[in-house]
Amino acid sequence: MASITYPQSAEAPATPGTLKLVQRERAMIGAHIITALIALLFGIFMGPFQTFHRSPTFVQYFPTIPVFTFYYQAVTVHGVMNALFFTTFFIVGFCYFVTERSLQRPIKSVPMGWAAFASMALGLVLMLFTILTSPQQSAVLYTFYPPMIAPALFYIGLVLLALGSWLASANIFLTYRDWKREHRNERVPLAVFAILVNFIVWCVATVGVALEIVFMLLPASLGILKVTDPQLARTLFWFFGHPLVYFWLLPAYVSWYTMLPRQAGGKLFSEPLARVAFVMFLLFAVPVGVHHQFSDPGISASSKGVQTLLTLVVSIPSFMTAFNVGAALENAARNRGAKTLFDWPFKQKWNDPVVAAQLAGMLLFVAGGFSGLINASAQLNATIHNTSWVPAHFHQTLGGAVMLTYIGILYWLLPAIRGRALFSKRAALAQVFTWLIGMTLFGLAMGEAGLQGVPRRALTSQAPYLTPAGAFWMDVTAISGVILLISSILLFVNVIGTLFFSRQPMPEGEVPIETVSGDRSSPLWLERWGIWLGVIGVLLLIAYGPVVAEVLDFQEGWNIMRFIPTSNAPMP
Amino acid sequence: MEINKLERYWLMAVGITLGAFVAATIVAVTVFGIRLPAPVERIDPQRLDQTIFANPGVRKIADNRYEAVIVARSWAFDAGPEAGNPAVLRFPRGSQVTFYVTSKDVMHGFQIEKHTLNLELVPGQVARATANFNRPGTYHIVCNHYCGAGHQVMYGTIVVE
Repeated sequence: MASITYPQSAEAPATPGTLKLVQRERAMIGAHIITALIALLFGIFMGPFQTFHRSPTFVQYFPTIPVFTFYYQAVTVHGVMNALFFTTFFIVGFCYFVTERSLQRPIKSVPMGWAAFASMALGLVLMLFTILTSPQQSAVLYTFYPPMIAPALFYIGLVLLALGSWLASANIFLTYRDWKREHRNERVPLAVFAILVNFIVWCVATVGVALEIVFMLLPASLGILKVTDPQLARTLFWFFGHPLVYFWLLPAYVSWYTMLPRQAGGKLFSEPLARVAFVMFLLFAVPVGVHHQFSDPGISASSKGVQTLLTLVVSIPSFMTAFNVGAALENAARNRGAKTLFDWPFKQKWNDPVVAAQLAGMLLFVAGGFSGLINASAQLNATIHNTSWVPAHFHQTLGGAVMLTYIGILYWLLPAIRGRALFSKRAALAQVFTWLIGMTLFGLAMGEAGLQGVPRRALTSQAPYLTPAGAFWMDVTAISGVILLISSILLFVNVIGTLFFSRQPMPEGEVPIETVSGDRSSPLWLERWGIWLGVIGVLLLIAYGPVVAEVLDFQEGWNIMRFIPTSNAPMP
Repeated sequence: MEINKLERYWLMAVGITLGAFVAATIVAVTVFGIRLPAPVERIDPQRLDQTIFANPGVRKIADNRYEAVIVARSWAFDAGPEAGNPAVLRFPRGSQVTFYVTSKDVMHGFQIEKHTLNLELVPGQVARATANFNRPGTYHIVCNHYCGAGHQVMYGTIVVE
């Protein structure tokens, strides 16, 4: 197969900006990224300790595993800090930076930016305080399903995080509106196009969880409300919970589509199709949440079938991304002298941590994507639902593709924020490859264990039902935990080293951000956001209308079932 | 908007792949009879004594056909005094068993090893599913939904004789 020829319309790469940050940027972006890393510091190390807790052999030889003795507290810290706080802070900080540089204007309101940050940071403090001071009561995991009810501060922390993120979204939307007024007939740069999609998805999705927290969980926690409806709460949670994964993924795609091609030494294959892919995420990210509820009794099989189809549709833009970004990488390798059909994956800049991290993330995403298609197939879900297969899947996607891409971004963004070179390139490379190996092993072991019926989120080393095969795979998982622990330490060696000990000046470099308007071959109608919001509304009505009717049991009249919420389950 | 020829081929391949997944789902439902849980009934978990869950246990309803009524609570599956705790259910080989399960406190899970029976137990909802036990052996019933500090000891056993 010959190498792919580029469409004639593709324009030359834009002039990139300088890497030097002005003080205003350094303060705002730095505050977000460093706070994200503080949340990550709490969350990331809980991962390996969970794998140790779950392994019968490990527990036999090390009966007291240090740091966290209560396994379910570790699960809660890991999920809440990594998946909710680290991601949100990182995404907001990164997206401000890309928006400002792409549109060549500051965000609309710096005071509003700081108000958003203060809200999110206060949320982080309250959440950490709650989880660390009342480990038993707040061990409701990051999915916090009622009737288990955590202390009120747990929910207040989440509300503050959401409020801050909405303010940040508004700031980005208003910045775009101002730019658009001055550039009527221009296409917004691809990176900002994707960021707008991401924050629209976020604002739509968070409505579900906000309703759940404000009207169900927080009042129950404060003792105002004595009743709850677990089936309704789960439905509202997953209305938010699945689009949440696209909120994590799309900033990684911003890097893959708009930064990696140049970092790797090539150029993007098709910008119009990149935009089409992002519009598909915009439309199909939300009406798919029920695929997390295939095993729920309160939702009909037909509603589940509809959302199965929509879930398969939302995999299409990721397949399109694989082609488009893959072609860009092939182009990069051809520029570097790759000649044959299969040598281009090897002729990449595997010795550049920024590029290697993103490529390693893509490798894990291949496994994660296909395990996701299996999860989305309603009948296969019965085999793996709530088994350790599920964390295997989302550690290939979130813990693999997304995390490694964020790390790749961090390896250029953190030096830019600090104004010094990355502390150690070798440590960064070692970190990337130990992460790739560790997460590959983790995915294999947890996936195999899941097929053997080992549940997720259970202290399996104490489980009487654990089979020999299950025990074996849990032990293998602990080995992957050791590798990932080393990788996590290497990551923070570089973070702390770059912030405090790097003496080298920052290398002369460029921000890998396009600053010109988008490719003229991209149709302007792709930016008709009002139309897309209308389509989202229709799709939500089709996908979620029947679900809500079933959950609320409309046939019996308006009937929100009344239960007395149990606080945390009793202790043994 | 131009779409490159190779990308068109790629999108066709994607369409075929996803079509295969859809076809597999349809075949699973129509040929293999895999059914997803669907609404059965809503009940008050505080008043299970007024429902079929007042007397959990296994009932024979026809040759090789059984009904098992089970109440999940933190942290046990209550399948009646005969089954004991942790519950042990015995069925002859070739049995078809319909399970009716609910939770009386928090969320629980109900998964039978090596069978495609995997239910979320949501308080207030009755979950129903049918399993065929054709191979003799011992299969665990595992609570696979986090339900508190004792989650990992919540299980039962099915013995197919």
